This record gives sequence, C-alpha cells and structure tokens, in this order.
Amino acid sequence: MLQFKLVLLGDSSVGKSSIVYRFVKDSFDEFRESTIGAAFLSQTITLEENNQVIKFEIWDTAGQERYKSLAPMYYRNANAALVVYDVTAPDSLMKAKSWIEELKKKVGNEELVICLVGNKVDICEEDDTKRKIEFEEAKDWANDENLLFYEVSAKTGYNVKEVFQKIGEQLYEYKKAEQANKGTQDNSNITSNIRLQEPQASNPTSCC
Amino acid sequence: MLNAERRPSVAERRSSFLSGSLQNSMNIPVVPHLAGIEDPLPETTPDKVDVLIAGTGMVESVLAAALAWQGSSVLHIDKNDYYGDTSATLTIDQISNWVNEVNSGTSSLSVCYTNAKLYISKSLRHSNTYVSRDFGIDLSPKILFAKSDLLSILVKSRVHQYLEFQSLSNFHTYENDSFEKLTNTKQEIFTDQNLSLMSKRNLMRFIKFVLVWDEQPEIWQQYAEKPISDFLVEKFKLENNQLYELIFSIGLCYNLDVKTPNALQRIRRYLTSFDVYGPFPVLYSKFGGPGELSQGFCRSAAVAGSTYKLNSQLLSFNPTTKEAVFKDGSKIKVEERVIVSPTQAPLDSKNIPKQEYEVHRLTCIVEKSCSEWFGEGESAAVVVFPPNSLKSNNRTVVQAFIVGSGTESCAKGTCIWYLSTVETGPRAELDLDAALEALERSIIRESSTDLENENDLIQLGPNGQTIINSVKLGQSFKEYIPREKVQFLLKLYYTQFTSTPPFDVVTPSVFEFSKEWPKDSSLLVPGASDNNIVYTSMPCAEISYDDVITAAKVLYEKIVGSDDDFFDVDFEDEDIPTYQNNGDVQYQNTFEEDDEEDEARDMDIVENEEPMGEMEI
Repeated sequence: MLQFKLVLLGDSSVGKSSIVYRFVKDSFDEFRESTIGAAFLSQTITLEENNQVIKFEIWDTAGQERYKSLAPMYYRNANAALVVYDVTAPDSLMKAKSWIEELKKKVGNEELVICLVGNKVDICEEDDTKRKIEFEEAKDWANDENLLFYEVSAKTGYNVKEVFQKIGEQLYEYKKAEQANKGTQDNSNITSNIRLQEPQASNPTSCC
Repeated sequence: MLNAERRPSVAERRSSFLSGSLQNSMNIPVVPHLAGIEDPLPETTPDKVDVLIAGTGMVESVLAAALAWQGSSVLHIDKNDYYGDTSATLTIDQISNWVNEVNSGTSSLSVCYTNAKLYISKSLRHSNTYVSRDFGIDLSPKILFAKSDLLSILVKSRVHQYLEFQSLSNFHTYENDSFEKLTNTKQEIFTDQNLSLMSKRNLMRFIKFVLVWDEQPEIWQQYAEKPISDFLVEKFKLENNQLYELIFSIGLCYNLDVKTPNALQRIRRYLTSFDVYGPFPVLYSKFGGPGELSQGFCRSAAVAGSTYKLNSQLLSFNPTTKEAVFKDGSKIKVEERVIVSPTQAPLDSKNIPKQEYEVHRLTCIVEKSCSEWFGEGESAAVVVFPPNSLKSNNRTVVQAFIVGSGTESCAKGTCIWYLSTVETGPRAELDLDAALEALERSIIRESSTDLENENDLIQLGPNGQTIINSVKLGQSFKEYIPREKVQFLLKLYYTQFTSTPPFDVVTPSVFEFSKEWPKDSSLLVPGASDNNIVYTSMPCAEISYDDVITAAKVLYEKIVGSDDDFFDVDFEDEDIPTYQNNGDVQYQNTFEEDDEEDEARDMDIVENEEPMGEMEI
C-alpha cells in the first residue's frame, strides 16, 4: 500500500469538505452541522490498471483558510492538493489561482500533484444561468498550468471518485519513477519515528 | 466539579450526542467527522467571542485548543505572519527579521528579549547549497519526556497525529574536557567497569527510593530545605561523578544547591520516562520543537471551531464595553477573557507582569553532521556542562540541545546547537562562549578524518596491510591541535526574560485575577490599553515541556471555573476503526494515563530487578 498526503485548498464555502465527505463516506448531507473530530480523514482506493492500493491521508483546512492563516504544517510533505472553486461563484476561480500560487510557494515538492476542481455543477444542471465560470475557461487555464482538472458535484457524486482515481494514478507514476531512480541509495542513516499512541508493550525491564 | 455556569462541551452540543442512543441502536457505521466542514462562514471577524487570545505560543495554543473543545468560542490571533510567537520555529529569514524587531526597541518584543546578536556566514547568505527554509530554529527549544502530562494530552487530543516524533537517548555530561555518555540504564550501571560494587549498590538503592520518593517523606524530610547534593552524599553515600550525572544530566538541574525535593522530582521524571516507548527517556518533534507543537494545537483548536487570524495585532481592550480593537480597524466583543502573550501586548500597555528572570541563549548552526554524538538511528543529543567544568569557571550549568539533520530542522550535513543558561549578566555570555568552545573542540576531535589520512600515522606494510603507528597516534591525540575549524553558518545570542523563576514551572500569582469584571474602575490603570487583560508567562528556562500543561490548565481553570473538562474530548470514532486495511487502525488510544497503575508498574521494575543477584558475584 502506498500512502500519500492530500491537502484541500480553496475559499470557504466552495465545498471542499463536502467533496471529501462524498469521497470518504459516499454520501452528501446538505444540512450537516459544522462538525469536528478526526485529525484528518483517510480513504483508500485501488488503481484499476494494476490493483495498487493507495491510501490518502486527507487534510482539511479546518477554517484556518479564512484569513489565510494556514500553518506550514498543513503544506508540509503534501503529495497532492485539491484546489476547489465554485462554478457558480464568479470570483472563486481567481481565488483558486491565488491558492495555487501560495501552494507552489510553500511546497518545495516538484512532484506535487495539483488538481483544480470546480464544484457544484449540479446547480448548473438545474439552471444553467447559475453557471458563472465556463468549463473551457478553467480547463484551458489548468492545462497551461499543468494541473489536473475536473468539474464535480459533491451533492450528486458526479466525478468525485474520478478525481481521486486520477490523482492516485499520477502519484503512482511519480512514485514508480522515483523508486527506479533511487535504486541502490543508502537508507541506513534514516532516523525513525516513534508512534506516541503505542507505548512499548513489552517492557524489557519489567517482569510482565 | 461541574458547576452550573459550565457551558455544555462541544461533544454535548452535537446533535449526535442528543440522539446518540437512537443512532447507536440503528448501528450506523461511525466515521470520524470532517475537520472544519464549512458552515457558511462570515467574511469578516465574528462580532463576538468568548475568549480572545493573542499570541500563538505553546501555552496559548494548548489553551486555545482546550477552550475550543470545551465549547468556548475562541478568536486566536498573532501579530506575526507565522505561528508560534515565543515558541516559534523560524527560518533564517524570519530569524533576521526577529532580531531586527528585538533590537528596534519599538515593539513589545523588546520587553521580552534583549541583546540579540546575529551572525550569518556569507556561505549561508549567498549560497546555492542552502535556502532559508531548510532551517527551523526554535526560539525556545524543548525536549518531551516520554511520561509527561503534555505527552498524554498530545495523544488524547490526537494532536500527535499532525506531528512526527523521534527518540533521544544520548545525554552527555561534560567532565574533564570530554563527554561522558550517561550510564542511564540499569544494565549499564551493572556492567560499568568504573563503578565499584559498593557504588553500584548505593546507586541502585537510590534509584529504588527515588521512584517512590514522595511516599517516603521520612527519608528526605529533614533535607527538604537543603541541597540535593547533601542528601545524596549523606543518605546514599553517592560519589561525586554519580552526583553530577544524577543532578545535572538525569535531573537537568542548574546547580548543586537545588533543593532536595525539587531534584528528586526531576530525577524521577527521567527514570519513569525510560522504557515507555523504548530504551530512551525523551522525544523531540521533527521539523522543530514547540513551534511545531503550537501549530498542532492551533490546528486542533481550529478543527473544534476556533477562528485563526495571523498578522493581526491587538490595539486595545476596553473592559467596560468589553470591546477589543485591532490594528486593521476591526473590533470584537469579548464575553469572558482576553489572554495576551507579553510579546503581543498592545502599545500603551501598563499591566505586563514584570519579567525579572533571565535566560541566556546561544544558537548556532554548524556545517557538521555531529552524528558522533547521537545514538544509533537518532539525530539529537543533550550535553550538560556542570558547574565549574568550563574555562569560564561557570557557577551554573550550561545545557546544550543538539539537533541533527535527521530531524529535518536543518539541511543535510549541518547541525543546530542550542545552548542556554540561567546565569545572569555578563557572566552568562562568557559561560555560553566557553561551552561553545568545548563543543567545538570535542566535535573536531571526534569527527576528524585528518588523523587517519596522515602518512605518519598509517603506513602500508609490504603486503599492503595497514600498520598504525599507535604510539604516535596516542601522542597525536594528546597534543592534537585542531587544524580544522568548525564552520559556523549562523550564530545567534539573545537574552530572554521570563516571570517564571528557574525551577518553578509556573507562577500562579501572575494569573491571579478576579472572575468578575471589575465594578470598581479605580482598579484600572488610567490610560492603559490593556486593563483587565490576562498575560501569559514567557517561556521559562526549563529544557523540557513540563511547564506548558500546568500553565495552560491554570489559565483554563480561571476562565472556565474548573479544569475538570480540560481536553475532555470524546471523538465519535473512539472505539470503532474507520477502515481495516492491514489491521491498520488509526485512532486507538492505548496510552496509559492512570498514574497509580504506572507507579505500581515502576515499583515492579525495581522489585523484580534481577541484576541485584549479579552484583553479589
């Protein structure tokens, strides 16, 4: 299993969390109260091509984005970013663009997979006059910037799985290339991490 | 005790709590709730909150998270564009700005720090090898004991999931111009050739006692006001080098005069932390210390609904209207308390508690890995310079926390040395310099490859085998004059002030304030912009995090009325794993928190100590 950190970005109320909620729980709750709990969410997918299992550790902004007060911790070691805008909100694509700038500035990783996502297409399907950002406009810009691009609906689930599948595939490609490059690199000096939730079960100096 | 005033906690206010039994009976799979699902959020600052906190240092961040989980609405601001305040982990560029601000004398930062001197080498300034953000320099570096209140809060609050921790097992005591690695395991004590049988027995007797020292006042009571050194010599007949290790390396005390109970507490802290996660007593966090932990707690607070705003400075607070005004012109009504770090005090503040104690710090980045000092698979060490061990005839200990690149706090091939002392005045800087010189000499000696390459020392025999001229090698070591110099990429001196005296973890009197808003306006200082603001303490000299939870709890109790529900969080997915791939269950909390049981276990360690027999051989 390969594990990757994915961060969500975008202005408040574009529906970042709902997309993840749809992805993780495959449900959508319009009237969900502001909720709390996990440090971050996890979800696994399987790539169709080779049955590779990929686990996403998904970080939501937890409201720190309102005043652009995201901590460096948030961006650190991110492998992928979902930058979300609202197709019915005229200036939200522009704001998404500024989030991408910020992201590139903060994350040193050249192989960061960025996916631009236009949410709430269900609203346009009901009433096309509600659409404020054209598909082509966002698509062209994403192409120029080398980003993945999807329009989705967290409400209906349209394209949500596809977004994560595509990101997973891309991450897998990078990983494969990286491992091929690494080859015989010496890993002996790596300092290992301690898991705080797992105190030593067998205490060597105690009897039991 | 729950009093009537207590607000329902976040958990209690959730709809799933109210209809909990129904949901459970329907057996709906419980999935952890999302962090920060957006309610339609207001585009401006909320117009009223329960608590306003200024400064995102360690104590303030823990407090914010505790309050947020309890159900209070919190606005948490910082005048800087980064998290951490007095606990920040800063890049090279941020350090430069910080030093400038300290020296400018115009900001409230100058009340808390003085005498900041920064040297940045040319090779760091104009380098293609390093970039500013390769380095994370802690303003108040800390180590985390494996058995401590902060650690259990980290686990309970799940903040640990945002962080990465590594072990630290090497504690060195500087003696006779060299580093002695601490004999800190019982096995090591028994196999130590330098210890006599009698010493071993005395040492074991003491260790057995110290684990339960507070239950045996009859043994130490007459020493309650006396120095620990008297106690150890008179009661346990310990020898000098053992005293030094126990008091300075294990206890991390500052001088031989520390009072007996204080030192016993600290010695036990080390011993009970040993073997909790493995054969080491402390941990440290990757990418930086308190700066990282602060970010983690702030994120936790945000997840629980707090609002975060960096680059935001408090201008004034009016206790009559309860209105706080910010530099950007915005205002907010604060229902309960305004908590402010001294570094973030508004201009014209007249109520900042006196910060009378000094901590002197010297932080260096060297172009050496210093891996010689680290334990296997580790990337940090503690070096302690006991009184009178340095050329400066230091009266007080100098403590050094060494952090290598494995922590990702500095670039590959470099290392950060954090030195600090509670010595006062000009002597402090002399002590720090002397300790730095000792570190420098030591690392050159230990890491030098020059000797091995020297033709005189290593000669090839006729068959190509290596012959080492050992006589010459011995001499050479003795007379070894370093040819090589340690390259310093950065040196930073500063004096930090705190209201917490050395050894007290908190001074509760600083937090003394009435629960009620003052009705008597004569209590207010005329013209002050900070009437009725509660100030937190600046970080104290303590190298561990031991003060943090205590300080946060004292404040919490003052605000909420009781500390019973301090981080009394119940996560919905507590017992039910979210997914079961490879048995990889993420949210289990198995950390032992029952003190009584722990103590019993610790006693067991001693009771069942096999090597007692070995000693008799």
